[in-house]
Amino acid sequence: MKNLRLKAARASLDMSQQQLADAVGVSRQTINAIEKGDYNPTIRLCLAICKTLNKTLDELFWEE
Amino acid sequence: MEHSVGYILGVLVGAAAGLGVVALLFKLKVMDLTFDERQERARGQAYKYGFWTMTACLFLYGFSDQIFGRWCDVLTGVMLCVAVALMVFASVCIVKDAYLSLKEKPRTIMTLLTVITLLNLSIGAMNLKSDRVVKDGVLTYGAVNGICGVMMLTILVVYLVNYLLAKREAGE
Repeated sequence: MKNLRLKAARASLDMSQQQLADAVGVSRQTINAIEKGDYNPTIRLCLAICKTLNKTLDELFWEE
Repeated sequence: MEHSVGYILGVLVGAAAGLGVVALLFKLKVMDLTFDERQERARGQAYKYGFWTMTACLFLYGFSDQIFGRWCDVLTGVMLCVAVALMVFASVCIVKDAYLSLKEKPRTIMTLLTVITLLNLSIGAMNLKSDRVVKDGVLTYGAVNGICGVMMLTILVVYLVNYLLAKREAGE
């Protein structure tokens, strides 16, 4: 399932996939895979993404 | 086949020089092994495919040797199996975007790979021209450069096709 909330949060900070990837120490393709729902990140990476985008885990990764 | 001490020393010095070049490339950060969690996972899967490919190739090689008799030198046969396994490993890594590490620059690595491919194919062609690839109907160690050249060319082609497909997908 696509993670549109992550994409929206990144876009709201005017960040590219590459910038977010550099900030959390992964490749651009990994961010792309998470946004497309092709890859389930570990809790450690989820937390790093949340801290970078100033969001909570629930806001970005909790499935309603 | 018996070889002189000079030949064996030459092979050892060549292998040491090769290892030295790779170590230098790592020291200069041209080559690097820093992967993220998705890449590590993808490389693990690719390694599994490579392992089973090599197992299958070694069995096939062993069976073919038993059935048809000696058709290639043992070391050449092993290199052939390793080359096929590496081709599978690298191709799966490329398709899963896990071939290059976080710090490696695609252009630098592909240039390096192109140079090594051309070098191996050239030496392979020279060996073929001077009849050092097949002796008495047996594939000799002289074929290894050609085998490595074809393997690296395949990896380059897979990388290029994957790159072009990803670029087209990003443009859509």
